[in-house]
Amino acid sequence: MKSSSTVFLAAFIALSASWAGFVLVPQLQLGRADQAETVPSKDKYPIARPGLAAQGAEVYRSLGCVYCHSQQVGQQGVTVEVVLLDAGTNATTTLTAIGKVKLELNKPETLTGLPKQIAQVDDIAGSDALVKAITGVGGKVEVNVIPTGADISRGWGKRRTVAQDYIFDSVVQPGTRRAGPDLANVGSRLADPNWQLNHLYAPKSTVKDSTMPAYRFLFEKRKIGKIPSADALKLTGDSAPLAGYEIVPTEKAHALVAYLLSLRADAPLWESPVTPPPAAAPATNSVAAK
Amino acid sequence: MNADPKQPCSATNEAEPTATTTAMPVWLLSLMVTLLFLSAWYFDLYGGWFEPKVYAPYRSIAHVDGLQPRKSGEEWRSRGKVLYESNCALCHNPDGAGKPSQGPPLAGSEWVLTTGANRLIHIPLVGLAGPIKVKGQDWNLNMAAMGAMYTDQQLADLLSYVRNAWGNKAPVVTAEQVKQARVEIGNRSQAYTADELMKIAE
Repeated sequence: MKSSSTVFLAAFIALSASWAGFVLVPQLQLGRADQAETVPSKDKYPIARPGLAAQGAEVYRSLGCVYCHSQQVGQQGVTVEVVLLDAGTNATTTLTAIGKVKLELNKPETLTGLPKQIAQVDDIAGSDALVKAITGVGGKVEVNVIPTGADISRGWGKRRTVAQDYIFDSVVQPGTRRAGPDLANVGSRLADPNWQLNHLYAPKSTVKDSTMPAYRFLFEKRKIGKIPSADALKLTGDSAPLAGYEIVPTEKAHALVAYLLSLRADAPLWESPVTPPPAAAPATNSVAAK
Repeated sequence: MNADPKQPCSATNEAEPTATTTAMPVWLLSLMVTLLFLSAWYFDLYGGWFEPKVYAPYRSIAHVDGLQPRKSGEEWRSRGKVLYESNCALCHNPDGAGKPSQGPPLAGSEWVLTTGANRLIHIPLVGLAGPIKVKGQDWNLNMAAMGAMYTDQQLADLLSYVRNAWGNKAPVVTAEQVKQARVEIGNRSQAYTADELMKIAE
C-alpha cells in the first residue's frame, strides 16, 4: 500500500489528540483535586465517608443500584434574586434611588409587604447596582443565587453536581438510567434511617407507586426472643411480619443506609454557586433585648 | 483516472489505482470554512475555554465569579468560629450553652451581651476566678488567661463571633479595642474576680 506511513501518522495523530483531550488534560486539571472550601462558610468539602458508609458504597455497587439510580444533578440556568429586607427610613429617597437603576420599580408597591423579591437578573453584576443604590440610602437587601432546571425543580438537588462532589468515590457511580429517582442528595432529602430501612425492605410501604424491588435478603426474619431487638423495623399493614416475628436489618442493610445518608451533594462550591437556605434562626439574644 | 471502458478488465496488467490531486470544489471549501466559523463561535459562547471550574450552564470563569456571594464584611465570623471551636468550645460547648462544672454559657449571657465589649475583652486576657452569676445561675470556676496568646485581631474575631453566634447579637469587637484593653491591664497576671470585673468600664 502506497502512503501507508501517511495513513498511520494521520490515525496516530487523531487518536493521540482525542486521548489527550479526553484523558490527559482532564486528568491534569482534576486528577489531583482535594478537599475544597465551601463558599462563603469555608467548611471543608467533601468529607470522607465514615467506615460504615464506605462499606455501604460497596453494597450499593454490588447490588447494581447504579443501573436504575443516577447520582448526578443537572442544571439549565440560574437566577439571581434581589430581596428587599428593609426600605430604610425615608421611603421616597429609597424609591428614587431604586428608580435610578430600574425605572419600573419606582412605584410605592415596591416597598410594601417586605421582605420581598423586587428583581430577578441572571448574574450578580446585574444586581450590584441595585444593591449599591439601596444600601446607599440605608436600606437592607439580600441577594440569592438560585440554580434552575428540571432536576432542581423535582427537588433532587439545590445545584448541579460537579467533579468535586465525587473525589472520595473510588468507583464513581454517576449512573446513566433513571428508572428510580436521582440519589445525589438522598442523604439530605430523606435523612431518616428508619424510612430508608423500611423502603429497602418493602418499597411500597413508604412510596406507594415505587417500582423498586424489595431487598428482603438484606434483612433477617427472627422469632422475637425475651426482649424484642432494638433495631427491628416498625412495619404495618401488608409488609408486617407474622405475630411473634420481627424483621432485623443485617450489617449490609445498615451499611447501605449509612452510605445513602452520606450522599449530600448540596454544599455551595465556587464552581457551582448557590445561596444556601437560611439556617433556622435561633431565638435572638441581643443587647437591646436585655 | 486511468480506467478505460474499451479495454477488457484484467487483473494481471492493470496497475493498482492511485490517488491523484484534484482541486477541492469551492462549495465544499466554503461549507467547511462556514462550519469551522460556526463551531468557533459556539465554542466562544459556551466553551468556557476548557476551564476546569466552569460547568454548564455557566459560560466563562467571569460568569461564575460574578455569581459568588459578595464580601459580607463578616469575615470575622468564619475566622472566629475556627478559633472558638478549637479553644473555647471544650468548656463552653460548641453551641455556647456551657457545660456543668466546666464553663458557664455564653449564649444569651449578660457578661457577653454588653453594649461595649471592654469588660468582656478583659476576661480572656487575664482570666477569671471565683464565684460569678451568669443567667441567674451561680458558677464558681477558674478560667486561665486563654486569650493572652492571640493577636489583637484574632481575639477581636473570636469575641465578635461569641457576641454574634447562637442567637447572640451585639456590636463586633475591633482589634483597636483589644489593644486598648491590653494597655489597661498592663502587667497584671492575677485572674479577675466578678467584683473586680464590674469595676471595669463596659
